[in-house]
Amino acid sequence: MTSRRGGPSAFELNRRKFLGYTAAAGAAAWLGSPFEAFADAKTGVDSTTWTPDYIKSIAGTLDIDTAAECAKVVPLDYKGKLTYWWNGTNQSSPDIDKQLEKEFFEAFAKTYPNIELDKQNLDYNQMLDKVRTAALGNAAPMVARLPILWGVEFAAKGQLQEFGPTDAGYPLEEYWPGAMKSVTWQGKTYGVPTNNETMAFIWNSAIFKAAGLDPEKAPDTWDDVVAYSKQIKDKTGKNGFGLVARANAGNTPFRFMPQAWANGGGAFDEAEDTPTYQKVYLNNDGTKEALQQLYQMYVVDKSVPASALTNTQTENEDPFLAGNLAMMISHPTEYAYMLDHAKKATGADKEMADKVVADMRYGLMPKGSKRRAVVFGGSNVHVFKPEFVDGGKVDSMAAKAFIAFLTGPEWSTKLAWDSSNPSNFRGFKSKWMKQRLDQIKFLNVTTSMLPYGIPFPVIPESTEVMNIIVPNMIQNALTGKMTVADAAEDAAKQANGLLSGM
Amino acid sequence: MPAALAAGAFQDYEDRYQVAIATSETAATGASPAPRGPNLLRRIASHWADYIYVAPALGVMLLVIGYPVYYTVYLSFFRTSPSLSMNDISFTGLDNYITVLGSSSFRDVTVNTIIWTVFSTAIAFLLGLGAALALNREFLGRGLIRGLLLIPYVISAVAASYVWRWIYHSDYGIIGALSMQLHLSDRPINFLDNTHTVLASLIVVNVWKEFSFAMIMLLAGLQTVPDQLHRAAMVDGAGPWDRFWHVTMPHLKGVTIVTILLMVVANLNGFTIPWIMTGGGPAGASDIWITQVYQIAFGRIRFGTASAYSVILFIIMMVLGYFYVRALGGKDDGRSE
Repeated sequence: MTSRRGGPSAFELNRRKFLGYTAAAGAAAWLGSPFEAFADAKTGVDSTTWTPDYIKSIAGTLDIDTAAECAKVVPLDYKGKLTYWWNGTNQSSPDIDKQLEKEFFEAFAKTYPNIELDKQNLDYNQMLDKVRTAALGNAAPMVARLPILWGVEFAAKGQLQEFGPTDAGYPLEEYWPGAMKSVTWQGKTYGVPTNNETMAFIWNSAIFKAAGLDPEKAPDTWDDVVAYSKQIKDKTGKNGFGLVARANAGNTPFRFMPQAWANGGGAFDEAEDTPTYQKVYLNNDGTKEALQQLYQMYVVDKSVPASALTNTQTENEDPFLAGNLAMMISHPTEYAYMLDHAKKATGADKEMADKVVADMRYGLMPKGSKRRAVVFGGSNVHVFKPEFVDGGKVDSMAAKAFIAFLTGPEWSTKLAWDSSNPSNFRGFKSKWMKQRLDQIKFLNVTTSMLPYGIPFPVIPESTEVMNIIVPNMIQNALTGKMTVADAAEDAAKQANGLLSGM
Repeated sequence: MPAALAAGAFQDYEDRYQVAIATSETAATGASPAPRGPNLLRRIASHWADYIYVAPALGVMLLVIGYPVYYTVYLSFFRTSPSLSMNDISFTGLDNYITVLGSSSFRDVTVNTIIWTVFSTAIAFLLGLGAALALNREFLGRGLIRGLLLIPYVISAVAASYVWRWIYHSDYGIIGALSMQLHLSDRPINFLDNTHTVLASLIVVNVWKEFSFAMIMLLAGLQTVPDQLHRAAMVDGAGPWDRFWHVTMPHLKGVTIVTILLMVVANLNGFTIPWIMTGGGPAGASDIWITQVYQIAFGRIRFGTASAYSVILFIIMMVLGYFYVRALGGKDDGRSE
């Protein structure tokens, strides 16, 4: 960490090189597109190429044989044992996701019948603490699939093995450069991206209409969101925007940071073209403006759920499905969730749910005074070092086989069926991509948000800043414990303290 | 008969009764003050089997309590790296203690903890006492009501917290909906998302969960109160309040102290309800010591600071534990006199 704080570090140099157009050019060459000319410096994703039409045109043009690809990395008759933790489907997940997850493990067992897989599906809100504690107690799993923000902390702690796409048999060029950045710490690679996603803006067109708004048009700016939210509350009595501001919950920064970035704010300078992560932006005008917008909606207009301070996104879903909430930010999977729950509803509830699903619209995230922005999210898979693993041993070949299987074009597409994008570029060319484009409504919208994606700061302190400092800042402002300006200053002070090692 | 006179007469009767009991027990057991000094080894040797019986439990305690306590105290004097690698820690003396005690949040969290503990304990105890007194009387359906009142105690705290979150929900909670239907308010009451109401709301849940424990303990205590004392007091003209205050309560003294101390310790460690229902929020309004320690250790990965915080709590618990042991010891002494 000293090198990171003491001027340009090896990591920064490598990251800059990495963020240069080399990788993007490689990807572009492989994809046969003018990628290099327009690649976004933060994510390597080019908005002019990665349009919904382009994605549709390449889908289904490549045949994939996953077993054959994996066999090149680890023989299919390899005998071994692997422990694996991930945040997978839960009771509220759409049936299609549960089915595909089941098929994934069945397919792996069929491909590698002699690898014994001991797996644990963990709840998102519990997983980070559990993995941290397990690693400290030398009881971590051999392999873990973690949300994009978390891996760097374990890499910085020295708990992860160096492991990258090439170890699993895939060239680096098959992955988004922005995604690779999230598995890179001090110039070394500590994981393989499994999926990459961005959220979108979702609204209920019927409530818009009832409030006198254009039902087919999303709010273009964050100021529009504030105004629409008030108009909806005033005209219909329903909550406008589904604000999420629970403390110590990942849902909160995923929804606030795009707003802050759009206005020119941020946690650090992660939204800038060449981020250093040394400058704290929590108290700049952009972040304060975003915080003021939340204050206006929650405190002044009372146009958002009063329960926002204890809500996660899960608590927004049912009110939205019941037609009591007009706008929210979420994944493409939200449509599948709504469809699934509408199917299971009965009587008058079903009638309402079906209507809401029909009235559901997806649009680009709103712009701010500086840009349009969204979190470049997803997950990565990592391998722990033997000394942190239960039993003190990692079956490296089994880990390679599993990761090759998981991150290949087939399963990185299927496991992201209604929620995300495959991490492996070749997934976009597969027949499964074509199937999901035909099946999943609004997928094109969230894919179109990819070029506006900004990764969270790739530093170990990121989790604390995003999950604790940012939500606390919002709560301090919205409860009146502090003014907006004081809350921002307090948060900046804490973030500066972190950077200085306090 | 004036109440004061009745009380005085009754006190006299009770004192005599206690002396009689003590004398008869002493005569029966032949107990005398325990020998000290040179006889110590002989006394240990004479109870060798007892020591062997408790040795496994002691061993486990040393392993799962003793070592962690030692390690926590050790870490509290160091600045730890996020990886907790022992090669990467630096001695900082009392810095962690100064950081904890000097932080502005410590004062707020301490106030929250005191409010949480005192009100939870006091209200749960009083409700438990009331329920125990009621259930100690014979009436139709007593068994059923006793069973029903035990339900909160046996329900998982995690499940109860989630259920109460929805009961309290600031937009779609049952209480809010009822209050609107009954025209008591024109919008749902904001219980958990309001810094002024959140702690009180959590205390209600805690009391609901905990009062059964006090009830069980006190009910057991009430069943040891000799019935002849009540009858004698009634003959002497003591009213219900006098009988409660001068007959029942003195006999509940031991169990009351133990119950209150156990509840205080449980509430100081009461992590589940505040953490699940609010995560300590909003804006730290329901943060108590134990949630703060968790947050510092596992949210902010500052194990040294969290250890210092834990040691401070440990000392407070030890002081309470001292009184707890004294209370228990006093009770034992009473039996052997």
